[in-house]
Amino acid sequence: MPGLDSELMRNLSRRSLLRAGAGLTGGVFLPMGFIGGARAEDHPALGSYPDGSSGSSVFVGISVPRTGTYAAAGEDLIKGYELALEHLNAGNELMSKISPNIKKGVLGKEVKHGIADSEAKPNTAVQNLSKFITDNKAVLLTGSVSSAEAVADNKAADREKVIYLPGISGSNDTTGKDCVRYSFRECFYAQTAAKAIAPVLIKNLGKDKKVAYLTPDYTYGHTVHASMEEYVKEGGWTTATNQVSPLGTTEFSSYLLNVANSGADVVININFGRDAILSIKQAKDFGILDKMTLVVPYNTPFLAKEVGAETMQNVFAATDYWWTLEDRFPLAKMFNDAFRAKYNSNPEWGANCAYMQIAMWADAVERAKSFYPPDVIKAYEAGQHVQSTVGEVWFRGADHQLVRPVVIVRGKKPASMKGADDFYDVVEVVAGEGLMQAPDAFGCKLGSYT
Amino acid sequence: MFNGLVLGALLALISSGLTIIYGTLGVLNLAHGAMFMLGGYAGFVAYQFTGSYVVAVLAGALFVLVVGVVMERLVISRFYSRPPEDQILVTFGLGIVFVELVRFGFGSLSQTVPAPHWASGITHLGFMIYPTYRLAVVAIVAVALAILYVVLYRTRLGMIVRAGIEDASMVDMLGINIDRVFMIVFGIGAMAAGFAGIVNAPVAPITPDAGDDILVETFVVVVIGGVGSFPGAILGGLIAGEILSLTAMVDPSYSQAMLFAVMTLVLVLRPHGLLGMQGRS
Amino acid sequence: MTNPLASRRTLTPDVLTAVGLIVAPFILPYLGFGPDTMNRILTFGLFGIGFDLLFGYTGLLSFGQSAFFGTGGFVAAYLLTRTGFSSVVLALLIGTVVAAATGALVGLIALRRTGIYFAMITVAIAQVFFFIENSPLSAWTGGENGLPGVPGPTIYLGFTTIHVINGWSMYGFIAFCYLVGIVIARRIVNSPVGRILVAIRDNPLRAQALGHAVHSYKLLAFVIAAAYAGFAGGLLGVLQGYMPPEAFTFDTSGQLVMQTVIGGPGTLLGPLVGAAVWLYLRDFLQAVLHLGATWKLVLGVIFVLLVTFLRHGVIGAIQDMTKRYATRGTARGDRAGAAVGTVVALPTVNPPVRRREIGAGYSGPALEARGLTKQYGGLTANNNVSFAVNAGELRGVIGPNGAGKSTFFKMLTCEVAPSAGQVLFHGEDITGKDVADVCQLGLTKSYQVNQLFTKLTVRENLTIAALAEKRGRFRSDFLRRAATLPDLTAQVDYTMGLVDLAKRADTPVAELAYGEKRRLEIGLALATSPTVLLLDEPLAGMSPQERRETVQLLKNIRRGRTLIVVEHDMDAIFNLAERITVLHEGRVLAEGTPEEIQRNSFVQDAYLGGVAAA
Repeated sequence: MPGLDSELMRNLSRRSLLRAGAGLTGGVFLPMGFIGGARAEDHPALGSYPDGSSGSSVFVGISVPRTGTYAAAGEDLIKGYELALEHLNAGNELMSKISPNIKKGVLGKEVKHGIADSEAKPNTAVQNLSKFITDNKAVLLTGSVSSAEAVADNKAADREKVIYLPGISGSNDTTGKDCVRYSFRECFYAQTAAKAIAPVLIKNLGKDKKVAYLTPDYTYGHTVHASMEEYVKEGGWTTATNQVSPLGTTEFSSYLLNVANSGADVVININFGRDAILSIKQAKDFGILDKMTLVVPYNTPFLAKEVGAETMQNVFAATDYWWTLEDRFPLAKMFNDAFRAKYNSNPEWGANCAYMQIAMWADAVERAKSFYPPDVIKAYEAGQHVQSTVGEVWFRGADHQLVRPVVIVRGKKPASMKGADDFYDVVEVVAGEGLMQAPDAFGCKLGSYT
Repeated sequence: MFNGLVLGALLALISSGLTIIYGTLGVLNLAHGAMFMLGGYAGFVAYQFTGSYVVAVLAGALFVLVVGVVMERLVISRFYSRPPEDQILVTFGLGIVFVELVRFGFGSLSQTVPAPHWASGITHLGFMIYPTYRLAVVAIVAVALAILYVVLYRTRLGMIVRAGIEDASMVDMLGINIDRVFMIVFGIGAMAAGFAGIVNAPVAPITPDAGDDILVETFVVVVIGGVGSFPGAILGGLIAGEILSLTAMVDPSYSQAMLFAVMTLVLVLRPHGLLGMQGRS
Repeated sequence: MTNPLASRRTLTPDVLTAVGLIVAPFILPYLGFGPDTMNRILTFGLFGIGFDLLFGYTGLLSFGQSAFFGTGGFVAAYLLTRTGFSSVVLALLIGTVVAAATGALVGLIALRRTGIYFAMITVAIAQVFFFIENSPLSAWTGGENGLPGVPGPTIYLGFTTIHVINGWSMYGFIAFCYLVGIVIARRIVNSPVGRILVAIRDNPLRAQALGHAVHSYKLLAFVIAAAYAGFAGGLLGVLQGYMPPEAFTFDTSGQLVMQTVIGGPGTLLGPLVGAAVWLYLRDFLQAVLHLGATWKLVLGVIFVLLVTFLRHGVIGAIQDMTKRYATRGTARGDRAGAAVGTVVALPTVNPPVRRREIGAGYSGPALEARGLTKQYGGLTANNNVSFAVNAGELRGVIGPNGAGKSTFFKMLTCEVAPSAGQVLFHGEDITGKDVADVCQLGLTKSYQVNQLFTKLTVRENLTIAALAEKRGRFRSDFLRRAATLPDLTAQVDYTMGLVDLAKRADTPVAELAYGEKRRLEIGLALATSPTVLLLDEPLAGMSPQERRETVQLLKNIRRGRTLIVVEHDMDAIFNLAERITVLHEGRVLAEGTPEEIQRNSFVQDAYLGGVAAA
């Protein structure tokens, strides 16, 4: 179209640009489904708005690993998501206890969903998200087990202007240098875990201890290591050795031998997922756990189940949620009961994250009274306090991180276990507000709303 | 150094299985990692029923022997006249099928088989401590390799197999039932991997994906040692084990890359691997 | 395998592809293909075009293409996200060039080996690239996080600007790139280079012996594949707005191979079809059938079934079906040509002028061996053989089995390097040269056991030989139409006439009778316009009638050439040759006219196993 300057071009809707493209290719280029969507009342089209919410239902796209090494945690997340959506659509009491704003459905619409396997690969995860957006007009995207996935999804969602909620993501960067306007993180992360667990360790194990670290060789591993060193220094703890292993190591013997010879009192194992399981099991084989106390500053879902109670006894771990919290928090009991009724097993912390993310999203949309993404985002950023399975929580506007407690647990002796799943004693629930670093401490610069 | 021996022993066993399959049948068995994993799971199931480590090991090995034979008869044998890439792909596909079947049946959480009480605990080796079971693994694997050696070099079947590695069509023309030989070789090769899988289970808990880690390394070992060479697989396995553990001491992230670099170097200098033969290219 | 050399001289396939690409967005969404899926299919399809050229056409199975996919992608993504670079298209092209250069370096290492060793080296190199991307270079590549924020291209068309973003406008951009990619690929396939690549796949030994620098062509194919991979990698980053580290993984290479085989190798469109099947099934099984985690199991089973039952992939299956449908009821006409006709008289057309003329003024022997010796470990195959043939001569070489005749021939054409001694061609020392160079000089051989390009037709076989003569050992003219080479057809037709295969020009080698194959074997050597032609048992396995005809053929072709013939058929060779050399136990036993040889008692003893030693 001759005569239009670039300023005007930018302000035109996507539809017009496509028409221009169509004219130029000489064919009638009528992409399905984009032309003809009803124009919103007062907001221009953005992301999947308004097409995704113009009907009687909206769509939530869930992308988690279902195959590959993180599959178990992924399935746990799915259970949490599906329970949450079931409750949401039915107007379940638990939802309204989390926030009285949550009604049946979201803004009167039923919430449908789809699940895609990300295979724990960032590229596949992004592929899944793209598909949910273009094919299903998803209004919400969610799910991740690794931070690599979450960060890739963050960027993709920000580009596509659809809100994305990570599932499990422990790296500081997810709400740090890789933060985006369109993403909100619920679960705990490296910095808060380290700051929460360090005083507990010092209190329980004493001062001036020597530490051997098992660190996985990627950003997450190094940041946790740095955080832990900083916080345990308060108790005069020093580093005897730092064994850095590549991701996906199966043979930890050389690292463990070094740990065994280091004279350390405490082993802090920063590995996650299968790396954690293998390194802990092999540490037991090498007799290290007989001499040193094991600390897992960021718990892997199902770690205790896979490693066994015999190995996990007396191990300190920082985690997001543990089912025996139902003794302290009534909402946790409601959540666990509903979970057990539907799935016949106890939830791990991924399921809890998933449930809470859905609930808080529903709350934000209800407060925004619209699905228009900037409105929803601003509702999130208002920092509304809601009740969660671990007490009162709220989002920080500056970096989109949920202010929430960290749960410190300790492995029970097998003899004291009251059931097959009773792996941990909850030692302390450390309040979130005191743990949080300054919002810009990790370089978060949120992007624009549109 | 010492650690490399343990890792190397396991690799040697798995690789010898792979190398005799490739040497005799000319088939690159990308399902070999899955065989390793299946051995672990079959042993696990047997252990659940009997509580006996020995039964578990036997069950794991025998189950994979059967799987290998069935796989060869049903699928692989159709591919002998097809181009090598088709063979590679069908074994790759079968590998995926086995892994996902196991995931379907057992879920993704890992399963453990404990070490037998006669081999558990710690051994004090003077300068360091070492899990007893790992030492036992070296011994067990050495025995298995010895048995394999005896079969290959001291029995009539073994002689036929070795002849088949050199020239399968010749063996066929001599009137020996080459189909049966292929079937047996595939079964034995797979069984070697399955045996390794269950023997390794007490060291590393098994998951459906357990075979993936080991597959690429196995191929590298086979290539280094020389395709089709049983002694080459053993030598290659030990060398690979040492490379991996030695580089891990210096800078762990480089260990796999180092292994590949060595393999490429070997191929450039000795086109048929260290102990490989001309004839199969 | 579809016949990759089937003439595609028209623009029809390109036009059809373009039409298909334009029509697809209107039809495929109803089948469940969203725009994002289609963009990915096209990207992988483009990635696969290069791979198909490498694997489907040249026969090199590489599991390491991800190295170039990632390299191209990350170079482009880095330029667009970390530097101030603004032109997406230019960044993509730069990424492509870097990937191609990387391909050249990797190819120099990997192509030193063939078969599984080649494949393993490609795997190793790809893994090393992944590792480098992840660790040492992570500051540039974003490590395990990759490079986010890759922008979409902006296309300035003079009168307007298009900002390409995700969805259908991206489809337009990528589809256009794909179309360009496939048009170029078709040109390559139809070029002399393309034909030679197919020949290399079929019989690399013969391709080299006919004068083609096989290694250089392989490297060229490798570089082209790397270039396509690099461009596709860049497209992935643009399409997603994110360049993932998985671009470098073995998984990506494996997926590419799987998709190509499912779709059909050697078809150029195979990877596209394979990607469509793969990605579609992936979505379908999860989103439509809600299979949960078992989607991969079902996909694995389907994959195994596809590989087992579709021997040439989906496209191959479609082609087979249409062929079967088309030939139903029609007689196979040219079967009748199997019977050998009478021997053709020497054509009156003069042979085409040789591209390279031998230096005039040289009057010594055309081919000379001085003290040629070859030892294989403890066995001495040839011992101090000296031998000289004059220009225009027809020399016979005979000897009992095990005399070392084949080894001797191999040394003469430099297929095998001698342990000692020299070979001189028109006075020039050619010892230790490459067999391709020697053929280019005008010395070549026809083989005792047929070394033909079995998947090609007679005409195509001869074209390969003629191409070497016309173009030299290597030329990267991969965008040129083979048909436009001057004199090529004339050379091929002339040779076909000489060996009386003109009536069978378009018959595949597999359908030829044995005698016809032998004639083609000789024809291949002839088509390189040799001045000295060695024939290794040309009459082997022939019926008496065929022998007579072949002897006549040899008499026809000796005009203007020097011939050296190894034979066991005494009647034929004594009839044919002017001089005969007798080899026995690796040495020259006797040399002379046929009459002299027949009377030589040493020769008689040698053949009858007598007492008189050499």
